[in-house]
Amino acid sequence: MIAQGHPRSIGKHVPRREDPYLLRGEGRFLDDIAEPKDTLFLSFAMSPHAHARILAIRTDAASALPGVVAVYTAEDMARFVKPIRTVIEIQGYRASSRMVLAQDEVRFVGEHVAVVVAEDPYIAQDAAELIEVDYEPLPAAVRLEEADSESAPLVHEDIPRNVMFEAAFASPDFQAAFESAEMIVSETFRTGRVAGVPLEPRGCLALLDHVADSLLFYTSTQIPHLARTALSEILDFPEPRIRVVTPEVGGGFGTKAQFYTEEVVTAALALNLRRPIKWVQDRREELLTSIHARDHIYRLEAAIDGEGRIKALRTDLTTNAGAYSSYPFGCTLEATGGARMIVGPYDIRNYAFHTRAIATHTCPSGAYRGVAQPSCFMAIEGLMDRIGRKLGIDPATVRQRNLIRSEQLPYTNVLGVRYDTGSYEECLRRALERVDYWNFRKRQAEARDDDEVLRGIGICCFTEVAGAGSGGWRVRGLTKVPGFDSASIKVEPTGKVTLLVSQAAAGQGHLTTFAQVLADYLGVKVEDVFVSEGDTATAPYGTNTFASRGAVAAGGAVIKAAQSLRQKIARIAAFLLDVDVERVELTESKAIDKENPEKSVDFRQVAQIAYSMTSVALPQGESFGLEVVEMYDPPLATWPNAVHAVVVAVDRRTAKVSIEKYVVVHDSGRLINPMIVDGQIHGGIVQGIGEALMEQIVYDEDGQMLNANLLDYLMPMALDVPQIDISHIETPSIDALGGFKGVGEGGVIGAVPAVTNAVADALARTGANINRLPLRPSYLLREMRRRQLAVDGDRK
Amino acid sequence: MNFAGEHLIRSPKHAVWDAINDPDVLRDAIPGCQELHKKSDTEFDAVVQVKVGPLKAKFKGSVRLEDIQQPHRCAIVGEGQGGVAGFAKGNAQVELIESQGATLIRYNVHAAIGGKLAQIGSRVVQGVATRLTLQFFENLVARIEPGDAGEPGPV
Repeated sequence: MIAQGHPRSIGKHVPRREDPYLLRGEGRFLDDIAEPKDTLFLSFAMSPHAHARILAIRTDAASALPGVVAVYTAEDMARFVKPIRTVIEIQGYRASSRMVLAQDEVRFVGEHVAVVVAEDPYIAQDAAELIEVDYEPLPAAVRLEEADSESAPLVHEDIPRNVMFEAAFASPDFQAAFESAEMIVSETFRTGRVAGVPLEPRGCLALLDHVADSLLFYTSTQIPHLARTALSEILDFPEPRIRVVTPEVGGGFGTKAQFYTEEVVTAALALNLRRPIKWVQDRREELLTSIHARDHIYRLEAAIDGEGRIKALRTDLTTNAGAYSSYPFGCTLEATGGARMIVGPYDIRNYAFHTRAIATHTCPSGAYRGVAQPSCFMAIEGLMDRIGRKLGIDPATVRQRNLIRSEQLPYTNVLGVRYDTGSYEECLRRALERVDYWNFRKRQAEARDDDEVLRGIGICCFTEVAGAGSGGWRVRGLTKVPGFDSASIKVEPTGKVTLLVSQAAAGQGHLTTFAQVLADYLGVKVEDVFVSEGDTATAPYGTNTFASRGAVAAGGAVIKAAQSLRQKIARIAAFLLDVDVERVELTESKAIDKENPEKSVDFRQVAQIAYSMTSVALPQGESFGLEVVEMYDPPLATWPNAVHAVVVAVDRRTAKVSIEKYVVVHDSGRLINPMIVDGQIHGGIVQGIGEALMEQIVYDEDGQMLNANLLDYLMPMALDVPQIDISHIETPSIDALGGFKGVGEGGVIGAVPAVTNAVADALARTGANINRLPLRPSYLLREMRRRQLAVDGDRK
Repeated sequence: MNFAGEHLIRSPKHAVWDAINDPDVLRDAIPGCQELHKKSDTEFDAVVQVKVGPLKAKFKGSVRLEDIQQPHRCAIVGEGQGGVAGFAKGNAQVELIESQGATLIRYNVHAAIGGKLAQIGSRVVQGVATRLTLQFFENLVARIEPGDAGEPGPV
């Protein structure tokens, strides 16, 4: 509990501790770490084919280049590196192994076939260009629609029909409910292939401590602990002798929540050559080999009544897994996520899904911010609009009729998942008010056919699965993802506090927010707390940073650890103050006598005793030191919820989409730092706008990626970002410690569906049916013209 | 990638046919061609340097003539390996039509590119291909048209 008199830090706009040094350019990212003089550098030779047999690899010319130390192929690597095998303990999953360099066969453009080790990175690249590989090109399964067929080329011989994962579910009364409903509304939604594209590409630096025979491994990752365990297993090297450190990480977005082949190669070669090894990728490599996501097809059928209430919902989901199951989330994450999360904030009692992940000859897919939620909510929210259009009921009203009502909470959804608290109706009510929804509808009804722009409004009501504990990951079979997180608190002899958290931030502001949490729960001044994370040598083990888990899982661990340590501090203070321990309250780095607040001792005085640095002896029965480590396993998940409402104008001639109004009403439970929460929402929305309107990784029919550069992979720029109106509702979680619900992904989850629905609503007047991403002008114009041609044809 | 076009050369059909089967003429006419050898009556080996957008690469490749109906038409099938720059492969259906002492070359090309060339050059590769084709014909015309060439160019 937080002391009555303690000035609260949680809930305040505390300035980010990270900003001064980041804004001054003093952040030290992977490539800023000074490498030792004898460091060697890597460059990978990449496959130009999507699918080919490797007939021969000639490395002589590369090896002969002055400055080249060695060249390795899969055969060489196999001597000291095991394949990466993503084990997922879930029915319907077919595991596949991946060698860190392609052996015999390449399965996507950009897959590594050989690696050069050289004295400088330029020589390494030049040498990689001299490696000659004879390929026998083979037919490739590239597009999801084509790979998912009996006649498609197989990506893995032992995975029939390219089905890497398949699962199905039906609630007991689904069939009866579906068949007895008044009507069916159905639609197919196709989402676009995108990637996280962090500003800082991936890279790592492996150093050896020759005396201790240990490995110090710097890597730009979100998962230092999981990476360390994986490295130990794959390299067969003792885990205690591996120390993984994440420097500043320049954006993660899930892209860096996977463990990659290059990390294994870098560490393996350092151990093998007994030299420091460094590898940093360029943008093209980043786009070719870092995980992609959201190449999905949703086929939805809703059985509804005449009022627009969904009586039964059926989802058929197909996701593009790429060529291999990425580690540790594998190919099942998007397929299970989309099918399970789609019921969202709606009271849908009868539900069935069939979901599959299909292997293709493309880059592996993985856990990009939001995972399948931007796509599944685009589907269900798109369906809500269609139900409205079919019945002539306003789509906002359709949502109101289907939302879980406050009095139903806590609510167990049709999949057996508990939502402890939420504010679904209130968020929608407030969002409609702030976006001036009903007046917009009135003005929209007055629009004329010869207006230069078409205006539309889009809504997305959603829940976000966040802060998942061990139960949440076990349900999905992800046994390499533990689920708990931890915190270690040390009140040092001087009374100042070190907080070590099992997280690895990539811009989230953890050094600030966890200090705020500890300040309140330990009764310490926020400026007395120093937070550190991302170093496995100091931070306790945990699940690390992804899936909106930091605030919930690590925040909970900080609270748990604070509660445990404050008791010891209070006991020693009580001894010093000569009062009962119940009378001691910790506030602002002091222990005070509640009944006589003038009487107090500060943390320094308590620490001096605990560390035996004063003439006063430690009370009998107490142990030395003031430190504690606690693990916290959050509930199955916490459930932030929100509503995004967006007004767009689409130019009739150019189909350019302008966002005129953007409203968010968000409920993340208890907010730690509202400024940082707003930042998360802003950033997510910008990514969502990119995904909805412009971003797309393009593979041609042969599996060639046509836009592995940022001139051709279009991302949103400052000018594409609208004014965003955020308003918060705080409904604390009752299942998670602290009441926090998490916020990392909500922005992108809400933005993709809301922007898509707004554009679809604007174009509905032309008769166009918008159900694919991205909403580029070429697509929108084609759809408008197709309808116009049909109308003109009818007139003739 | 597909592109098609036609080009008028003011020479008789058989002269044009001979020219496009002559390694010396081809070596001069193909933009960036550094080496070209005739392996057999229907096969050539070549080394061609090409710049596509930010990418400069030397392609080593082979070209084969198929479905030859001398001197009316043939298919040119080829592929080139540009090392780390990737690869290009394709085929061209070429037809020669004679009219009033001049020859109209009509071509229809289907080409595919791969690797780095596709990844960072896709946006510009079609334009480059069109430009190189035009340049090839200009060079060819300069080699084989008698005297003052007049107004060669696409029609």
